[in-house]
Amino acid sequence: MSPTARAITPRRWTRLRKLVQVLALAAFVALVLFGRSGALPPDIANIAMRLDPLAVLAHLLSSKVFLAGSALALLVVGLTLLFGRAWCGWLCPLGTALDLFSLRRMRGKRRAPSDAWRGAKYFVLLTLLVAAYAGNLTLMVLDPLTIAYRTLSTSLLPATDQIVRLVEQALYAVPFLRQSVGTLDGLIRPALLPVDPFYYRDALLFLMLFAGIVALNAFAQRFWCRYLCPLGGLLGLLSKVSLVRREVIETQCTHCDACARRCPTGTIQFTHSAGGSESAARAASLPPGASDPSECTMCLECLPACPQGATAFTLHKAPAQWNRYDPNRRMALASVATAALGIGVLSSELAAGRDTPHWIQPPGARENDLLSKCIRCGQCARACPTGAIQPALFEAGVTGLWTPVLMPRVGYCDYSCNACGQVCPVQAIPPLPLEEKRLQVIGKAYIDTTRCIAWADHVDCIVCEEMCPLPDKAIKLEVAEVRTADGAPVTVRLPQVNRDRCIGCGICDYKCPVNGQSAIRVYAPPA
Amino acid sequence: MTNASRRQFLRRLAALSGATAGTWLLAACGESSPPATQESMPTAAESATAAREPATPASESAPSAKPSDSSASVDKPYLVVARGGDQPEELVRRSIAALGGMERFVKPGANVIIKPNICVAYHTYEYAATTNPWVVGALVKLCREAGAGRVRVMDSPFGGTAEQAYARSGIQEQVLAAGGEMETMQRLKFVATDIPEGKDIKNWNIYDDILQADVVIDVPVAKDHGLARLTLGMKNLLGVVEDRGSMHRNMGQRLADLTSRVRPALTVVDAVRMLMANGPTGGDLGDVKKMDTIVASADIVAADSYAATLFGLQPADLAYITAGAAMGLGRSDLANLKIEEIAVGG
Repeated sequence: MSPTARAITPRRWTRLRKLVQVLALAAFVALVLFGRSGALPPDIANIAMRLDPLAVLAHLLSSKVFLAGSALALLVVGLTLLFGRAWCGWLCPLGTALDLFSLRRMRGKRRAPSDAWRGAKYFVLLTLLVAAYAGNLTLMVLDPLTIAYRTLSTSLLPATDQIVRLVEQALYAVPFLRQSVGTLDGLIRPALLPVDPFYYRDALLFLMLFAGIVALNAFAQRFWCRYLCPLGGLLGLLSKVSLVRREVIETQCTHCDACARRCPTGTIQFTHSAGGSESAARAASLPPGASDPSECTMCLECLPACPQGATAFTLHKAPAQWNRYDPNRRMALASVATAALGIGVLSSELAAGRDTPHWIQPPGARENDLLSKCIRCGQCARACPTGAIQPALFEAGVTGLWTPVLMPRVGYCDYSCNACGQVCPVQAIPPLPLEEKRLQVIGKAYIDTTRCIAWADHVDCIVCEEMCPLPDKAIKLEVAEVRTADGAPVTVRLPQVNRDRCIGCGICDYKCPVNGQSAIRVYAPPA
Repeated sequence: MTNASRRQFLRRLAALSGATAGTWLLAACGESSPPATQESMPTAAESATAAREPATPASESAPSAKPSDSSASVDKPYLVVARGGDQPEELVRRSIAALGGMERFVKPGANVIIKPNICVAYHTYEYAATTNPWVVGALVKLCREAGAGRVRVMDSPFGGTAEQAYARSGIQEQVLAAGGEMETMQRLKFVATDIPEGKDIKNWNIYDDILQADVVIDVPVAKDHGLARLTLGMKNLLGVVEDRGSMHRNMGQRLADLTSRVRPALTVVDAVRMLMANGPTGGDLGDVKKMDTIVASADIVAADSYAATLFGLQPADLAYITAGAAMGLGRSDLANLKIEEIAVGG
């Protein structure tokens, strides 16, 4: 055992790790909770994404621009060069969630999939990076931080809010509880939960995807981290040369297998416990109880597991051994081919040939080539105070899956807000000053005169005109003499859109009192 | 061990669901009671000519109109207009003093809600889309000086969040400095409310606290509006209801119906700066006219009627004034009212 490790007992080490994990997860949840605009300075709100080396590297390859703020990721790179995949074992919110929902009982004694599958994460990583270099970031939907952020912000947080709302409503209806419930509600809204409920498209889907990742734990502990996670792959490669690595003191080891059984990523190998043939071959070339630093999350569970105190974390200078499942030439070629084919197919999608009219992007994003910069983290959707920004489904084709899209009938782009651009960790949405953002055209409004209350029913309404935020309104009212279906003459104020002035903020679309689809709709602006 | 704790958990869950179900039941029983007290209010027609006084906090929960109050207004003006100077606070102080002081409206310990117009988070007060912060601040101070218990200021903006709007309008700063509270209007508190005197709408979701307050003070900023022509006191009450879009159908009558239920004890029209065009959102200083004027009255219809004349309009030009007068909510016959004009030097 190293001198530092001796000062703290093995049990305390794992307890410390669990404490750090819980704190890191709590911090991440807090970042989501306070991710709404105005709650935190944007540079704090988006700190998790800027710490993510995969997000930073992929964005760098794709946009060919390095942002100063992204240098934060070097902290995690440095951490990895010192302590291997400690990020995965100590800090990653998704990893901690997978530890919390370990599904130990469901897993039982089931044997983990073959070690060969560990290569899958490298394949995902390489494909992601090659595609990124070619300007495509679609695979960033698989980054663990974007998964965690999306799940929390679009499904778990809104769901919690709805549950709280139901309870509050039930209690508020009781006369003698009314005052205290009202006070309580005033304390938690808007501080913790939104004043108006948020609705997200596919909230259930995001929860199901997260549940699916958790369910994989039934096949192997931390299945996602072992076999699939592209960030885990990236940090795993760096860990080949990390300074502190696990080793077994051969003279003390009795080959009891206790550490191998405890290891959550199953990387500790004894000849007699090896699963597949590759493992046996690898184990034969290594001392008993050896582990792959690329797979080790530095969770330290093996320390208290060893009855002999034969596990140690010591300094190493030579790179670790390259395994059969680690990236090789064939895998690299396969990922280049996959990325090329994928990009080819995605580029032949209809949406790539012709913009869909409903692909309304956050202010400035259209002019900024959003698709090649957006890391799909969903911070903009969280920050948007009106819930207008939604995860795109097919508006931008599969290429733009879960990139931000504005849905005016769900929310409007607030004239007093530029939060999305401020919070975007990679400036895919440019950080426009409010004055500039107010001039940014994101769409154009068109009146459906067959449904408009004034045009079709000849009744004054003017809500769209009232709502238009421009100092010189883009919607004007024309007083007109019209005839009803029965031929009776009536005077009515007809709204008209001045398209030269309209910025497409969509508040008219959002507030239009016509049922269902609005009678004034915002479409993506002409190219 | 595991089984026992699970059983415990289930037991607690059952108890909790039982409690929740019980709550629903209680709620169902309790629903009819709060509006019932309101229905017994004297009709507006009786009170039309009377200056209204708020009820004392102990006796009734809503400002009520008592015909006998007319004696109180014999020596006092029915409506006050203060003009001039560069101190909105001074205009407010002088007008309220002329009306008989804030003590006339606010009894010690009263629960007061001041409803300014903070409709959007877009601009600072100079653009006259939102009520002048010093006007609101002055009213908060006067209420505190009159011994009010709690003075809350609130509105629900349609553009931007309340947090942003309260800050950008400058109102938050003045209210907090004056010892008032800013309340973010909560969805929870918009409750389906009967409007017994309503001609077009008989029930609407109205902010509960506004109905429960001892005193409601309506402080609109005088400005242009596409449908209503002008946004004044009655139009400003749109901020205390849900589904405002639908209120725009037959707006004049619906605003009068709403006013019959909300009944502000005092209306103070802020015409320090008036927004002459592109309202209610504004954004162009060229559309703003500095008038340095405050119109105050216990009669919301009268206050709106006078404010309309500041724009060169007649009370009859505004549908909600006509509807309000017809319902007996107040008077629009300015020529017959005792109006005191105050010139504030400076």
